[in-house]
Amino acid sequence: MNKRYGFYFESDRCIKCFSCEIACKQWHGIKAGTIKLRKVIEVTTGTFPEVSRKFYSLTCRHCAKAPCAAACPSGAISRRIEDGIVVVDGSKCIGCRSCFDACPFGIPQFDEDGTMRKCDMCLDRVAMGQKPVCVATCPTEALKWGTLEELSDFAARKSARAYTREEKL
Amino acid sequence: MKKSDVKQQNSLTATSMPGKKPVKARKQADLLSKPPLDSDGEEKIIPTFCHGCGSAKPRCGILCHVKNGRFVRVEGNPEAFNNWGQGCTSLCAKGNTGMQLLYSPNRLTYPMKRTGEKGEGKFKRITWDEALDTIAARLKETKEKYGPESYAVLSPEYWPVLATLGRRFLNIHGSPNYLHSAICATPRAAAAKITIGFTSNAPDDWNKTKLIVNWGANCENAAVNQGQPFAILNAIEKGTKLIDIRPMLEPLGAKANIWLPVRPGTDCALALAILNVIINEKLYDADFVTNWCYGFNELAEHVQPHSPEWAELITGIPAARIKEAARMIGTIKPSYIKIGNGVGDQASDGTATVQAICLIAAITGNLDVPGGFYAGSTVGPGLIDINRISTLPEKAPPDMADKLVDPESPIWYQKSGNWDGGPTSAYYKGLMSVLTGKPYPIRVLNATCSNPLSATRNPQKVAEALKKLEFLFVMDINWASHVNYADIVLPACTDYERNDQIEVRNRREGTWIGIYNKIAEPLGESRSDWQFYLELAVRMGYGADFWNGSMEAFLNEQLAPSGITLEELRKSPRGIFIKRTIPSPEPEYRRYAALFKNLPHGKVQCYNEFIGGKDNNDKTGKLPYLPTYQGPPEGIAQTPELTAEYPLVLSDVHAHLLSQHSYLHDIPYLRELQPYPWLRINPVTARKYGISDGDWVRVESRHGWCKFKAEYFQGIAPDVLMTKRGWWQSCAELDLPEYSVFDGGSEVNNLYNSDEKYFDKFYSQMPKQTLVKISKIEE
Repeated sequence: MNKRYGFYFESDRCIKCFSCEIACKQWHGIKAGTIKLRKVIEVTTGTFPEVSRKFYSLTCRHCAKAPCAAACPSGAISRRIEDGIVVVDGSKCIGCRSCFDACPFGIPQFDEDGTMRKCDMCLDRVAMGQKPVCVATCPTEALKWGTLEELSDFAARKSARAYTREEKL
Repeated sequence: MKKSDVKQQNSLTATSMPGKKPVKARKQADLLSKPPLDSDGEEKIIPTFCHGCGSAKPRCGILCHVKNGRFVRVEGNPEAFNNWGQGCTSLCAKGNTGMQLLYSPNRLTYPMKRTGEKGEGKFKRITWDEALDTIAARLKETKEKYGPESYAVLSPEYWPVLATLGRRFLNIHGSPNYLHSAICATPRAAAAKITIGFTSNAPDDWNKTKLIVNWGANCENAAVNQGQPFAILNAIEKGTKLIDIRPMLEPLGAKANIWLPVRPGTDCALALAILNVIINEKLYDADFVTNWCYGFNELAEHVQPHSPEWAELITGIPAARIKEAARMIGTIKPSYIKIGNGVGDQASDGTATVQAICLIAAITGNLDVPGGFYAGSTVGPGLIDINRISTLPEKAPPDMADKLVDPESPIWYQKSGNWDGGPTSAYYKGLMSVLTGKPYPIRVLNATCSNPLSATRNPQKVAEALKKLEFLFVMDINWASHVNYADIVLPACTDYERNDQIEVRNRREGTWIGIYNKIAEPLGESRSDWQFYLELAVRMGYGADFWNGSMEAFLNEQLAPSGITLEELRKSPRGIFIKRTIPSPEPEYRRYAALFKNLPHGKVQCYNEFIGGKDNNDKTGKLPYLPTYQGPPEGIAQTPELTAEYPLVLSDVHAHLLSQHSYLHDIPYLRELQPYPWLRINPVTARKYGISDGDWVRVESRHGWCKFKAEYFQGIAPDVLMTKRGWWQSCAELDLPEYSVFDGGSEVNNLYNSDEKYFDKFYSQMPKQTLVKISKIEE
């Protein structure tokens, strides 16, 4: 069976430090004030003093049945068979934004030339056996990355309180 | 970069060292030093240290990716023991923006001399020789005319250059006037030292702590990548309880069991009320109190008026909530109270607050126990010895401390060897000597790496002092707002452009040493601050004490005991790691006789005979024996007569994750996330004044006014507003402006009461809380 990589995010460990969001921008050379391939957002509920703040670091979910790919009329979006990473071929993209309409998470971003960009799990790093930069830079290990088996195993063990520092991913 | 260097940085391991086994490369390091990421093979990886925290001590190891001679991207160096240790590749938001810091258009790139009026900002380019000769000539002339103490230096925070070479220069020159902010760790450390005999930055192991009290500490803003948020989150995950005491519901507070939204500047009242509950409900450790506390009965009597009901009116926290927290602290053991900038350093009664908090920890039996206020080190001895750079105190004039322009802490305290590195004067009070002439005016000021128009109170008065100085010189990476007042301006390079300093990290796993590597040649004519001191010293005739200006000799002296030569270290740009073979010693606990030996009666000072009855720092009176609540100079409970006109309390955060004190607002990736001077405001309050989310707001105190952009926030009390200082930098890439540091701008320091009578009488802490009125600015 082919590998399938994914991200795993624990809001309880996120302190909204924006490291992942900025790391993504700098690593991929994206200019400030333009697009974001990873975003940290906050959801606040309640009123003072009973207030809840939850933080989320969001990016492409690399869906198995990626609606963006299905919606793309030019075949620019595809899912890699070997690892499940959903990638965009910028040279094929016509900038029609059909993918944006199709994505339930608002992930597709559009460059100055109008073509779509989104998270590619830092293919360059993954090819070298490294984690995506957002995960590598996370100061609290709120973000994790691995195969779905690894992540599932991690989450299961954690929920069973068997988690120790030595057993971490 | 030379070809040979590139080859070196790709070599994997610590190279061979005389008599010590080379260290095996680990897998991760292997990956990182494989040929660069671009297929053309041109991207090179150079390890060095981050400049994101500016002058501050913590410097994370980084791997810089350089392409076509340009620093293009960055990641954490897994070998540099960042954050949780070996293998960690994390960085904070600032650390991820190093490239933009290096290439900022706001950088100073050549030396200048002033041609216009002071403050006008007109300068002429000059050579380094002319700049250094001018500074040396003025220093010699003023030393001759007014005495060496006429020269003072501003201390930004713990800055290694100033703490070593800067101090050494002061000692050789003969001036005691190291103007320290009265903010930061030293006032807190001193207050702990006079109360419990030691300071504690962390428990021996966070996982042993059952209750963490995060009191005015801001590690998710100030030290994101320094291990503490990570450790605290791990402890929470394992069931440790958390009480968070801060005016705003910050990210860690959002994970706390109890959040106490204390009104800014009233932490002392809260601490006394917690003592009241713990003492009256007999939740204290009776054995510890009997054996190791001096004056407990006096303390018990002292806190009687300070009931939770009394504190509710002052702090805004319901009495029931205070009791609940106090009972948790009294019953869940071990507990660790993390004391931060917010309580100890920037309040009129900062010392008393820290004393009271230390006494909470003491009487509940949490000193020097597993998971509590740990006094020792669990690391083990360093395996790589280097010479600490001596500041040569023996060469300073013997009576020098007596000439301090305005001692930060009482002179009797400083002279009995309690200083950390040497004598200190209070920053703001020292600057004011220029205007008052009391006890004598500072004539020459070195304002390097510290912008006094944002780092201290009352920018208007500070600017007057800067104008009145006979001579001001500034060395900075940026054209900061105070640069406009300088006679001579020198361009500093960043940490990415220097290779003249070393870092040693001693951890349980072993000891690591690394040297700074240049990612780029210094921009323009910028130079290293270390180099500057060596060059100035030579011109002053102090060369014999400054390695005759040789950086190489300076570094060799530091490295001498290590057995590692400079050449070897330069050939190992990833650093050299010596693994610990003898395990670190197991921690020892409850060493009370040793810990309290310098305290009167050898006991914890509930009734403080260390400072009580002795002169305060400005010799206007005596220090109290018991931690005494004072509160801010203006506040809802303190000055009710003002609340009809000024109904809201205002304060500001000391550190912020998207800036470095008042710097880094020019960094596009950071400014994008906080484009405007912000004001956190409860929506209920905002609506009352017709202020919508995002509106510009005029905020006015009795001392000045500022404009900020309203940011609706539920995690703040309706009678409190919070903001952030220092908005003097523009960001050209995002077309975002700079804001004035004076009245009508966005520098919050304009709003505070800067009357010195409200400064803490032990360590000169300046209050940063006031009352304000607000109104919408119609655009």
